[in-house]
Amino acid sequence: MEKLRRLAKPVGHLVIFGLLMLSLPFPAAHAGMVGTEAVINAAQVQQDRERLHNVFNRDDVKAQLLARGVDPSQVQARIDSLTDQEVQSLSGKLDQLPAGGDSFLGALVFIFIVLLITDILGFTNIFPFVKHQKRY
Amino acid sequence: MLNVPTARIFPGGIIFFVILFMSGCATLQTDRVRATAGAFPRPVELATVPFYPQEEYQCGPAALATALNWSGVPVTPEQLVSQVYLPERQGSLQLEMIGAARRHGRVPYVLRPELESLFAEVASGNPVLVLQNLSFWWYPKWHYAVVVGFDLPGDRIVLRSGREQRHDIPIELFERTWRRSRYWAMVVLPPDQLPFTAEEIPYVQAVAPLERIARWPEAQTAYAAALKHWPKSLGARMGLGNSRYALGDVTGSEEEFRRAAQEHPEAAAAFNNLAQALADQKKWSQAQAAARHAVELGGPQIETYRDTLKQIETRSEQNAAQ
Repeated sequence: MEKLRRLAKPVGHLVIFGLLMLSLPFPAAHAGMVGTEAVINAAQVQQDRERLHNVFNRDDVKAQLLARGVDPSQVQARIDSLTDQEVQSLSGKLDQLPAGGDSFLGALVFIFIVLLITDILGFTNIFPFVKHQKRY
Repeated sequence: MLNVPTARIFPGGIIFFVILFMSGCATLQTDRVRATAGAFPRPVELATVPFYPQEEYQCGPAALATALNWSGVPVTPEQLVSQVYLPERQGSLQLEMIGAARRHGRVPYVLRPELESLFAEVASGNPVLVLQNLSFWWYPKWHYAVVVGFDLPGDRIVLRSGREQRHDIPIELFERTWRRSRYWAMVVLPPDQLPFTAEEIPYVQAVAPLERIARWPEAQTAYAAALKHWPKSLGARMGLGNSRYALGDVTGSEEEFRRAAQEHPEAAAAFNNLAQALADQKKWSQAQAAARHAVELGGPQIETYRDTLKQIETRSEQNAAQ
């Protein structure tokens, strides 16, 4: 039993690898055709290993998007609309990249912080809980 | 208590330096544009660009809806939320804005990071979607808006922004907020229209991802438009061939690949795809010759070329046996 359990992980990895190999996306919709992306990006032609890497990347980013609340029925279409390079530049950086979403609440928090700082530094006197040192 | 006054002055000094630091001392592009006398002498405003007032956190969907509707796609910001919004980040990423534009069959083209490019696009009639940081780097407030007009002599720029239909601000102020996104800007155009500032390779690169999501009719139109502008473009010619092939027009694709091969005799991919199109029409000897030539030329895709040749040889043998 213990042996079986120890084997489970490597075997599982092999199965995943095999399944992924089956579903390798080709650059063009038709086998034998060289896709336009590959023609223009001749420098970064997809070798098999790289292609496999991209499959992993796509699954990675998909999981990261799901973890950040993206609608599961939309996540595949969202990832499909990106190139391999774009997926790679997203991978692992979803929390660092700028996300445009200016909020009104955020503006209030910002003003609050600025006024708090100016209060503390003694330029303003808005918040009663900020204690000002006595001037001598 | 002699040192007390200095203690009071010290925080003021810090504030002074912090403000200096935050405002950034690098020169603004605005000055450079102004120095080019008469570059944009008249004010421009694209008054017909629609406006979608943004809901909380939803400036991405709102700005994208503005650009898409202007380009002829009837879509509401609400419909775009599930395509670009990232709930945990309470915002939308640039790449997902690009991806969503593709999903609606439009060509998203990211501009050169220059005020001149932005002005040139607006002046030629294209609204420009920009990413700004309205705050400082240490408390970023990333925001999408759409530039619809400017007045260089009058020092004004007009945006569809947030809940304001005509957000009218000085150009320098706009540049300071825009600079923090490294001058990120894009136009979203129908496939039959080139951006005013389009360059060959970046444009073809902007069209090619449409193939990935099987937007072949739009890809075909965009490649054809690119070829009108850059008749010798290998990428656009190959793209047109690939789109025609995908749409079932095999003889049409043969023409394009043949032309690509003639104009770029070093392009092995052109011979490879030509071979494929010929084989589909059972022109076996021509197909084999083209496939062999692709293998001879070689290159990083040589494995694909070898596969094509092998496949064509097998298919023609099978055909002869029948």
